[in-house]
Amino acid sequence: MSSALEAHPGAASASEAVPTVKNRKLDQWICWWSLPIFYNLFGLIFVYLGKLMPPPRPGLTTDEIVAFIQKNAASMQAAWVLLTLSLGFASLSSGLIIVQMKRMTTSPVLAYAYMAALAVAALPGCLLCTTMFSLAAFRPDRDREIIALLYDLGLLSFVGSLGCFVTQYMVFAIAIFLDKRGIFPKWLGYMSIWGAVTELVATPIWIFRSGPYAWNGLISFWLGTLIFVVWEFCLIVSLFRAIKQQPLDEPGNHA
Amino acid sequence: MPSSSGTSRRLPGDADIWVFVVGDMLIFSAYFAAYLFTGRMGSRELFLRSEQHLSQTSGLCNTLILLTSSLFIALCVHAARLGNLRLASRFLELGGACGVGFLLVKVFEWHSKLASGLTISTNAFFMHYYVMTGVHVAHILIGLTFLMVVRRELGGAQAPRMELVEAGGIYWHMVDFLWFMIFSLLYLMR
Repeated sequence: MSSALEAHPGAASASEAVPTVKNRKLDQWICWWSLPIFYNLFGLIFVYLGKLMPPPRPGLTTDEIVAFIQKNAASMQAAWVLLTLSLGFASLSSGLIIVQMKRMTTSPVLAYAYMAALAVAALPGCLLCTTMFSLAAFRPDRDREIIALLYDLGLLSFVGSLGCFVTQYMVFAIAIFLDKRGIFPKWLGYMSIWGAVTELVATPIWIFRSGPYAWNGLISFWLGTLIFVVWEFCLIVSLFRAIKQQPLDEPGNHA
Repeated sequence: MPSSSGTSRRLPGDADIWVFVVGDMLIFSAYFAAYLFTGRMGSRELFLRSEQHLSQTSGLCNTLILLTSSLFIALCVHAARLGNLRLASRFLELGGACGVGFLLVKVFEWHSKLASGLTISTNAFFMHYYVMTGVHVAHILIGLTFLMVVRRELGGAQAPRMELVEAGGIYWHMVDFLWFMIFSLLYLMR
């Protein structure tokens, strides 16, 4: 054993260096693996428990709204609890994107703008809508008009806030086009423009109660949501590639 | 393709921008389809009556402005290919200025509609009118941003990435083309 070590004088120092080098990107990898888990949980919260997706019709009568809330009260409250506990995981995804955006040849101001834009959008787009539904479920015997108000507020903030994500998409696209290192592929920048223009069209939901531009409309809701889901998938894959291609000895890549 | 790479005709830009253009056209087709099939086919009378309120003059004016700007952008890409970056930047700025002109005409047009009480909630026709022209204006704004990215590329210390300059041009021509579609569908079709 000892003779083998002596035969390679550099072995001892190399074995000291190897673990730290190997772990250099471990923190990023741990964050990355949380993403598929978090987004599946997200789907469970909004689709299965929260009853926000697919969105119920804007044209329901007050009676139908009250029945809808009473029927789903327990699962709406469960959605709120799960979301409160897990929404913080969204910051891991942002954290990873910021780390990679700061490697670009552009000013880091775009990375910070991305982070701030998402923080603004997360409030109405995630937290407010589930809060309104679980608030309505808290006292189902409340005045029926107030329950209808909470129902409107929940869905208007959920779908209506899609416009808040336009800034995030645009900042991301601009950073990708300006970047000369090719941290993220160009097509992801173009997809972000699709995201921006389709989520922009969620703004007319504040006016129409039926048709393609209502909050459950084919264009206002479904087109933007479809592109968001595809975009998110491509973003997670592109993040994987970006972390993988990041050199271990790059300045700023802390263990 | 061993030897023909130098002389073969190459697609301008890169594959990414063309995939984007096709996708964006598909997104716009959704708006056009909604206009034609859920709107115009159901209430033809209402749509024909509402179309009378649109000003063909300002529509035609904007068409000419965008055609001119597309010409400037094409000249810009041509000059950049020849290595004349200063001239390319000038053409780009002229093209961008036309884009701003388009926005001014559009704001004037919207203002005159709103002043005469025609808002997005007036009827189904004006819903489609405001949404489509609004999304198109968003495309112009994104296009102007794209042109600014290209401007920075042309004015940089290093040689510009030609595929990015060409992509900016392709994007701008697409915005131009989409306007033709909106102009024909909303302003001209009777």
